[in-house]
Parts: sequence; C-alpha cells; structure tokens
Amino acid sequence: MNATKSNGGSRSQKIFRFILRLLPFDFRTNYEREMAGVFHQQHREAEKQGGAIGLVKLWLETIGGIFRTAPREHWEILRQDCGYAFRMMAKNKGFTAIAVLTLALGIGANTAIFSVVHSVLLSPLPYRQGQQLIYIRQQARKANVDDIGFSVPEIMDYRGQNETLSSLVEYHVMSFTLFGHGDPDRVKTAVVSWNYFEMFGVKPILGRTFTPKDDEIGAPAVLVLTNEYWRDKFGADPKVVGKTFEMNDRVHTVVGVLPPIPQYPLETDVFMPTSACPYRSADSHIKHREMRMMEVFGRLKPGVTLGQAQADLSTIAARLESQYPKFYPANIGYGVSASSLKENLTHDAQPTLLVLLGAATFVLLIACANVANLTLSRMARRERELAVRTALGAGRSRLLRQLLTESLILAFIGGVIGLLLAYDSLELLTKFAARLSPRASEIRIDAGVLLFTVLAALGTAIVFGTVSALFSHANLTSGLKEGTAGSGVNRSRNRMRSVLIVSQVAFSFMLLIGAGLMLRSLFKMLNVNPGFQTQHVLAMRVNVNWSKYGSPDQYALFAKKLVEKIQAQPAVLSAAVSSSYPLEPEILAGGPNSNGFQVKGEPLAPGQAPPIADTVFITPDFFSTLGVPLLSGRVFANTDDAKAPPVVIVNEAMQHRFWPSSNPIGQQISFDDGEHWRQVVGVVGDVHDLGLDHVPDLQAYEPVLQNGGVGTLVVRTAIADPLVMAHQLTRAILDVDPTTAVSGILSLDAARSDSVSTPRTTASLLGVFGALALLIATAGIGGIMALTVSQRVHEIGIRIALGAQPSRVLYMILGHGVGLALLGVAIGLVGALGLTGLAKSLLFEVTPTDPVTYFAVALVFVSAALLAGYLPARRAAAIDPIEALRCE
Amino acid sequence: MFHILLALADGERHGYAILKEVAMRTDDKVRLSAGTLYGNLARLEASGMISESGNRPAFGLDDERRRYYRLTEFGRSVAVAEAQRMEAALSQARAKHLFRKTETA
Repeated sequence: MNATKSNGGSRSQKIFRFILRLLPFDFRTNYEREMAGVFHQQHREAEKQGGAIGLVKLWLETIGGIFRTAPREHWEILRQDCGYAFRMMAKNKGFTAIAVLTLALGIGANTAIFSVVHSVLLSPLPYRQGQQLIYIRQQARKANVDDIGFSVPEIMDYRGQNETLSSLVEYHVMSFTLFGHGDPDRVKTAVVSWNYFEMFGVKPILGRTFTPKDDEIGAPAVLVLTNEYWRDKFGADPKVVGKTFEMNDRVHTVVGVLPPIPQYPLETDVFMPTSACPYRSADSHIKHREMRMMEVFGRLKPGVTLGQAQADLSTIAARLESQYPKFYPANIGYGVSASSLKENLTHDAQPTLLVLLGAATFVLLIACANVANLTLSRMARRERELAVRTALGAGRSRLLRQLLTESLILAFIGGVIGLLLAYDSLELLTKFAARLSPRASEIRIDAGVLLFTVLAALGTAIVFGTVSALFSHANLTSGLKEGTAGSGVNRSRNRMRSVLIVSQVAFSFMLLIGAGLMLRSLFKMLNVNPGFQTQHVLAMRVNVNWSKYGSPDQYALFAKKLVEKIQAQPAVLSAAVSSSYPLEPEILAGGPNSNGFQVKGEPLAPGQAPPIADTVFITPDFFSTLGVPLLSGRVFANTDDAKAPPVVIVNEAMQHRFWPSSNPIGQQISFDDGEHWRQVVGVVGDVHDLGLDHVPDLQAYEPVLQNGGVGTLVVRTAIADPLVMAHQLTRAILDVDPTTAVSGILSLDAARSDSVSTPRTTASLLGVFGALALLIATAGIGGIMALTVSQRVHEIGIRIALGAQPSRVLYMILGHGVGLALLGVAIGLVGALGLTGLAKSLLFEVTPTDPVTYFAVALVFVSAALLAGYLPARRAAAIDPIEALRCE
Repeated sequence: MFHILLALADGERHGYAILKEVAMRTDDKVRLSAGTLYGNLARLEASGMISESGNRPAFGLDDERRRYYRLTEFGRSVAVAEAQRMEAALSQARAKHLFRKTETA
C-alpha cells in the first residue's frame, strides 16, 4: 500500500516537474525544489482528504497556476532584458552603429538578391496551372541549332497529331506601324493563335480576347491591347474597345484589354490573331514547310508528364522526317524538344542569380563573424560587470538569455534597415534581372521575401549570439579573478577571435576571387576588337510604313533618298541604311537574319545541310560609317542596283572557310538553291555583331539597292556625343517620309556598353560585396592586433628592456597579422578553387583558376593585413619598457 | 498578494505554511497553487516586500528544501497601507448603511 502510494507520488512529481519546465530557467533554479515540496504535501493531503476528486481539483489548480505564472515571468524577463539591451546599446553607440550597419548590409544584400531569386526562379508562373505549360522547339542538332522555329504546316501537324497536349498555340512578334492615334506609332505586335489567352488562362479586363472566327483568313482584323500599352498610350481609357486604327493598310478594331500580366517571352504592345498578320496569313507562309518563324507553346493534358509529351512529340518528328525527307535531311539531326515553360524562361538567369545569392550569403556570414567579434571584444570590457552579476545570483543561463536578446534586437534592427535597403535597390535589380529573364517584371518584396528576411535576421542573431555567448560562458566564473586566471581566458577568447578573423578573410577572399574573375572577364570582353568603330556613330531603327512600299525598288529608292538627305545634314560625315547594325539590341535579343547558301562549284551532297551566313542588307557607305576594314575587292556602289548583276560582300571568316588559298573575288554564291547567283565583289573584316563575347561566324552583305531590307540608319558624325543630333536626324527622316516611325535611337558606344551590361552588373555587385567584405575583414585584423598589443604590453616591454630591437617587435606584430591573413587566404583559396567552377558559364576567356586573379587578390589581402597591422605594430615598437613595467 | 503579506505578519513561514495559513484564514476561499504562490513570492521578493529569512528551526526539524520568508519593514508598511485603505472603504460603506441587513442581525 505504501509502496504504490509513493509510486503514484513520484509519478505525479515527475509530471509536476515536467510542467514546471514552462517557467523560465532562473525561476526554476530558484524555486523548483520548494515548489515540488509544496506540491508533494498538497498531493498527500488531497489524497488523504478528498480522494480522486481532491486530486483532480489539485491538478487543475496547479496546472492553471503554472500556465498563468509562466507567461508573466517570461514577459518580465524579456522586458528587463530589452530595457537592459537598449541601455547598453545607447551607452555603446559606436558598437551599436557598426553592428547594426554591418548586419543591415548583410541582411539587405540577401533580401534583395533573394527577392529576385524568389520571383524569377522559385515562384510558380503566374498563369493558371503554370506547371503544365511547355515550350516546344524544333532543333537541327547536328548543325548545332537549338531552335529553328516552326512553320505553319509543322504547327498544324503537331497540333493535329499529338495525344498529350490539351492545346498548342503559336506566337511570333512583328513590328507594325499604327496610324490614327497621334504620330505614326511603331507597335510591337504579338501574333498568336486565337486560343493563346485561353491556354494561359488570361481573362481580359475589358472586352474580349480572340475567338476561332478571328483566326479565319479574311476575318475582320482585331487587336487586343496589353495593359501597359493601354495605360501609356490611351491613358487607361475605359472606352477604348471598339476604337479603330489603321495598320498594314487595313482597319483594325480594338476588341479587348489585357490585365497587367508578365509577358513572356517578349514584352509587346498589342496582340493580333494570325489572320491579321500580313506575313503569317500569306500563302508563302501557310503552304511552305520551310518558312519557319513561329514559336510554339503547349499545355500538357492533366496527368501527362513532360517525358510523355516529349516521347509523343518525338514520334511525330520521326513521322515528319520519313514523310518529307526533302525538308528534314538526315544529317541536320532534326528533332523536337519540349521543356517546361518556367525552365525555359529562367535557365539563362539561374547561374548568375545563384552565384549572387551565394555571394550575398557570404557577406552575411562575414557580417555575423564581424559582429560576433565586436561582441567578444565588448565582452572583455563587460566581463567584470557580468561576473559581478553572476556573483550576485543571476543565473548563467539568465545572462546568456540576455546576450541572445541583445543579439536578436541588433539583428532585427539590422533586418529592418536591410529590408529598406533591399526595397530601395529593387528597381535597379529588376532592370538587371530583365536582361536575364522575362520574369523580372514579377520581382517584388512579398510575404515570402519578408519571411526570408525574418529568418535571415533570426539565423544571424543565433549565429553571432551563440558564438559570443559560448565564449562569455567560459569567462563568467573567472571574470573576478582578474589578472591571474584571466590571461588564460584571454587566450581562449583571442583564439576564438582569430578563428573569426581567419574565416572572414577566407570568405572575403572567395568573394573577391569571384569579383576579380568577373572583372577580368569583363575587361577581356571590352578589349575585344569588335571589328568596327563605335565612336561618334549614332544608330536608330527606321520603321517604314511597309504597306506603302510594295517592291524592293521602292525600298531602294527610299533608302537612297534617305541617305542623301542625312548626308546633307551638318556635322554628318557619312550615313548608311541597313537591315540591322552590329550589337543592335534587337539582334542581341532576337537573333540575326540567318540564311542557308551554297557556293558555286561546291555542290551539297544529298541531304547535306547548307552552310548558314548572317546576312545584312546595306547601302554603299555602311562599312566606312562603321569603320569596318575592306580587305580586298571593293565595297558596293550606287550602281549596284536592281539593273546590275547581283553582288555580295563576304567576311574574312567566309573567305577562310571556302577560299583559303584562292581569290574570293569573282566567286559566286546563292541563297536560293542556285536560282540566282551573286558574285563576290569584296571581303571585309569580321564583325562582332552578336555580342563582344560571340566569335563572328560567316557573314554576308547584300545591297539594299538590289534587295530592299530597310531597318536601321547608322550615321557617323563629327560630334563627340552623337546623341545630340537625334532630333535633327529624326526630323530629316520624317521629311523624306512622314509615315516613318523612328525608334531605338542610341549611340553605338551605348549599344556596345549595353551589350555587356549583364556581366558588368554581375561584376559590380560581386565587387561591391567583395569590397565590403575586405573592409570588414581588414578592420577585424586591425582590431585584433590592437587588442593583442595592449594585452602584451608587459611582455613586449620586457623584451625591449632585454634588448629586443623595436624593428623586430614591429615585424613580430606585423607577422602575426599577416599570418592570420595568409591562413585565411589559404583556406579561401581551397574554397575558391572548389566554388568558382560553378561560375564557369559566366566567364569569358578567363578560366576559373586564372592565376593572375588569384595572385592579385592574395596580394590585396596581404597588403590590407600589413596596412591594418601597421599602426598597432608601431605602437608596440614604441613601447617604453619602464612605463610598461611600472604599470604592473 | 495581500493574503501572503498577511500570512507573514505574525512571523516567518515557509511556502507550504503560507499556503495553508491563507486557506485556513479564508475558509478555503483563496486557494493558492504552487505556481501562483511562488510567482507571487518572486514578485514580492523582487519588490522588496518580503525577504528570505536566515533563521531556521533547529537542525532536524527543518526540511532541507524549505526556505522561510519574512515580511520586511517595507512589506509591513505596504500591508498596513492596504489594510487602512480597506478599512476606510469599509467604514464609508457602513456610513452609507450598505450592510443594512447584517447590521441589524
């Protein structure tokens, strides 16, 4: 009987003590035993007097009491700790400012980069069932062409024969000129299947989208406006539906307005159904299998995987290949590939963004190490205070809890400022990300990003709070026995500080290596000879009202008149009309005009894919305007017109490929299966038209005067900043034809600079991160050296008294700092060698192990350590031994 | 709180004794549990109204885990002030004949 009773008693004691855990640790240490005693007696009494009912009543009262007491006690402690922390922070303004600023930069950098990663890489596409959307490409794998586009017959085949897609839509972008609303307006027009919006799950906010009827050939032309265009050009006019405009010589009626949705893959102004596009609806496109210019999107049927769809589409590809061997020769490696739309829209951005996120994480880690370091050195000064409080009865955990509260407060203030910094940088980042992914317009700071910031702040507080708390832990007991045991503690804390410094150096080193590699890669790009001269040249897009110009002759006439008019302007040295110019943003985004050709005397083997040249149409002064060197033969003349024999100019790469040892002048090539032959009249230098890091391939130039192809105007001026002539030149163009829309006016210098803006931004972001890290690490080295010197005053004094040369002391202290830096560099080196491989795809003509970069960055660190250690070292060398020893 | 101060008015007591005294005096109407008792004790101690007593009963009579609490001068004056406040309130209530029935009885 007694045994069972005491058993029951001990079990309830256990339960009671378990519930007591809700109370703060200090409260428990203070009262737990007594409370257990009280409860024990109450329990015995209740058992004796009230039996089961009494016990139940006791338990209810006891549990209720603890649940009421616990929050009060915790709150009380939190209040005290916060109050104490704020007083400490106010007292140490310098420490607080540096800690908060460091944390704000670390957390801000992470929040900013994460907001981009979150919106671009992580969040689902903002369309209904976005994961079902796929992007389909036809490929010529053996010719290394990733995307050859689709022709109308091919779209029909894939749409009709597939069994895995619920819909398949086409898309292409054209620029048309819109009349009837102020100046002629050049509008980027997406030409799409009628069910395009239905497939993406987009509903109009005004009017309707397209119907199957709109898609029939000959249907009245209709337009759907994008939200942005509707706001910009029509001031969000609610009555815009029903308005008519003239485009391509036809009346177009606005039938609807889209909601503000991110537009993939390109931003456009208006949408039209395929029937309204004069090219797409022409017989030449509808009937010809090789007229490929469309992109294709699809939606998987519910439950169908990407793999199943891929297999299904590949079956169709194989069928087409055997059905039409003429269009799909065996050796081009014809195939079809389906990828998730999300993957397709983001895979360009992925390496850059992940590298930046990694860099930002490094910055935060360095910030943590720095604040932990600051806290430790402050701890040295607070040691007595903490020890006194321990002696006065404050539990150790109570003090640790208070230190963590301080860390949390610092981290959260840092977090809030960091969030503001991130918010501030959002616009810049969006611009940057827009070059990497069309999803950039979705970038915003939302709940997910806020959660990330809170977690980052929390993690930061825990990391640096724990490091500092752990090392104050060792000190609390010995803090009062100052001077004796204190030096041992100092040593362990100094060791911890050294570890923190070394890790800061290591992480900063990796960051700076990253930045250095990107920078070197950027310089290599900028130093590439582009094959043309960008200075003083102004370029613009000239969008002729094509419906006015039926034949190439009319284009030729316009081009001739335009060039004459422009060349007559003051300060114009030369001018040319062309279909595009090198590094033109539209070409960089949309790709060049590539055409297959054959060389006379070198017939293609049956089924052999023809070589492909980027073809540009130009007027005679194109090369002199751009400063492209003529290597042999002649440039075009105004006499090379439609009445003269067809001519072509080729680039150096073409000469090397086809006529390495013979004279290319007089040779003949054909772009239309041998129907017409063009005679080579000149060879010019290779031009980097697709990007400074893009090795020029085969290039061919044909006269505008024979073929038409008016797209852009390039003007060499006598003015340093040619942009000042923009207005004057636009007027001159409108004088020649007032229905022309002029757009995209920029200097070639700007075009060249824009073409490397992505690597430049990546390099500068990494550079800023790296510089920040270097600064923090250097300050850390300086700090620890100063501390070491002040702790070793006695020892150094004795050494000097015993005859040590001041210079030796100087070197000793400097050596210590440099030693720390070298250790950090060595660790960082290993890390960098392991990590930079990941950034390989971002580099141009620089290997991830580029010795120059590594050497330079290591040198920077050692010099920084020398610099940081110099002042403390000089102080050490100047120690007066008598003074030092008297201090004893 | 007042009940705890009152329980200590006539001498030092340990926790369980305080709890019993309060229950007895109030006819079990005020029942303290271990949690509320020590929560209040902690508060009273922190504000200096009670303190831990150094005096303990002779060795052997004492349960080792018991601590004894006593009223400080400050605690006593707080208790007195509270009692006076209540007394004043009570006499005002009497003056207004709030307790007519009980008065006659």
